[in-house]
Amino acid sequence: MKNYEILEHTADIGIRVKAKDLGGLFKAAAQAIFALTAEKQPSRDREKHKVIINQKAASLEELFINWLNEVLSLSAVEAMVFEDFQISKIDEHNIEAVALGSDIKNYKINTEIKAATYHALKIEKNNSGWVAEVIFDV
Amino acid sequence: MSESQIKLEKIDDFRWRIPRSYKPGMRVPGLIYADEKLLKDIYQDKALEQVANVAFLPGIVSYSLAMPDIHWGYGFPIGGVAATDIEEGGVISPGGVGFDINCGVRLMRTNLEYTDVKDKIKDLVYRLFSDVPAGVGSKGDIRLSAKEEKEILIKGSQWAVANGYGIEDDLDCTEERGAITGADPDAVSERAYQRGKAQSGTLGSGNHFLEIQVIDQLYDAELSDAFGLNLGQIMVMIHSGSRGLGYQICDDYTRNMVHCLQKYSITVPDQQLACAPVNSPEGKSYLGAMKCAANYAWANRQCLMHLTRLSFEKALGLPWEKLGMQLIYDVAHNIAKIEKYEIEGITKNLCVHRKGATRAFPPGHPALPEKYKLTGQPVIIPGDMARNSYLLVGTEKAQETFYSACHGAGRVKSRTAATKSINLNVLLKELESKGIIVKASGRGTIVEEAPQAYKNVNDVVDVVHNAGISKRVCRMRPLGVIKG
Repeated sequence: MKNYEILEHTADIGIRVKAKDLGGLFKAAAQAIFALTAEKQPSRDREKHKVIINQKAASLEELFINWLNEVLSLSAVEAMVFEDFQISKIDEHNIEAVALGSDIKNYKINTEIKAATYHALKIEKNNSGWVAEVIFDV
Repeated sequence: MSESQIKLEKIDDFRWRIPRSYKPGMRVPGLIYADEKLLKDIYQDKALEQVANVAFLPGIVSYSLAMPDIHWGYGFPIGGVAATDIEEGGVISPGGVGFDINCGVRLMRTNLEYTDVKDKIKDLVYRLFSDVPAGVGSKGDIRLSAKEEKEILIKGSQWAVANGYGIEDDLDCTEERGAITGADPDAVSERAYQRGKAQSGTLGSGNHFLEIQVIDQLYDAELSDAFGLNLGQIMVMIHSGSRGLGYQICDDYTRNMVHCLQKYSITVPDQQLACAPVNSPEGKSYLGAMKCAANYAWANRQCLMHLTRLSFEKALGLPWEKLGMQLIYDVAHNIAKIEKYEIEGITKNLCVHRKGATRAFPPGHPALPEKYKLTGQPVIIPGDMARNSYLLVGTEKAQETFYSACHGAGRVKSRTAATKSINLNVLLKELESKGIIVKASGRGTIVEEAPQAYKNVNDVVDVVHNAGISKRVCRMRPLGVIKG
């Protein structure tokens, strides 16, 4: 099941993600990147690799954008698609996580997301948990 | 998407103003180049709001400008131009350049006539598709040592030519001769180097393309003759940028400049407009890094053109020189440049952001090579994969836009809306019936980039021509399209 919604944008792609807690929100947004761009192909090479992603920031918004951009950047540099994220620590200023992924060759890449942007960014806590909206430059 | 509520003031048939009173904090009015037909589309998204937001930038001069292809971007609208006065604390914003730094386009002529190659287009397209690496994260055959990587960032296309990927004449026909001075490789992070590694000579994905085109309309006999162009002549257009290196530089410096807003007491309505004074350490550092990505992009397009020339040689059995494959020009359309302008009688150094806009210098401008001193700078405007593309030249009147023109057709439909409403097989048949062969590494890309997703480039170019900020030379239509 898709755990994100698409928000219409003329040139780029916006998403809305919801989660019970902050860790779930960060994980859902990062997973949406790969759900939007990568399609798993049948492959024998299923070796999983771990990449540590730790980020610090002055605000929650900044942490969210830095996190997503770090995920994108490391995915490009390591030539990996990340399938899961284990978040061991998160607050409004810090995140410590491990991304689990496999070689990009195991996927068909349909679209490229260049970056997450601050434009029209929303991160809010409501009665049922957290919701975020973010626009990616495609 | 929500419609804009902004009430524009009509100046004339092609110019519309957003008054400063629209939003407290605007330092200058907004100025939109469009006709009533295009305005209907422009009103459909948030681009006009973004024009107003850009008017908040410290040091902005005259207007926050928008070209007729504007559409909703992130921070700046795509098709936005903003010049800031460096001596008056004017800022530079990585968001005003974008993630794909020096995304740009180059146009090459050939001696070939349509009748010579009409039966060979499919072969050419398939050969180009196999010879020119395209697609997300594609890697090229050009392998570089760490020392050479740094050299590219300083020397740009000049590195490519020195290494056999082109000739000296190509440099004359490239903005900044393919290497803008002041690039500072030390301002580029290790991560950015890693992200751009092995991507030299690759097309990339999304709206990037390589097209074989034919001239189907000439507008000005004198200018066409000056460029050596005739009806039915085959042309090649290449659209690409700085790939992962540029994305990472923009990311690195946006992270940094978000903190500059507080440090320099700057108020902007959108954090993606994060910026710093051009003369601040942060501004200087970004400019040095941005120039590296710009040079990388010029080298990239130079290498792509080299691969294209070799493909034509193989397909047609003649050396590219005999095929007359000469570069007309290469222009950036995502960049910030330091340029001199006279503002109220005083010559000023301005930082001109062109985010989805093309530099359009007039005849006689000192930055133009001798061969274009009389014609003005070639302005290359790609359209969508089914309609047209254009060659124009800059005019003196474009001083009012800091010598800038549009950069393309401009999107009108989102990628998701295009994917939902367009059937790939129907689209491919439609294109084939028009004699257009398309080859792409991602099938989704063809649908996302379908003609229906774009404004009609003919309408956009009519506005820049009729407003006098550029002058039409000729129009091309596509025959073969290679997409990432």
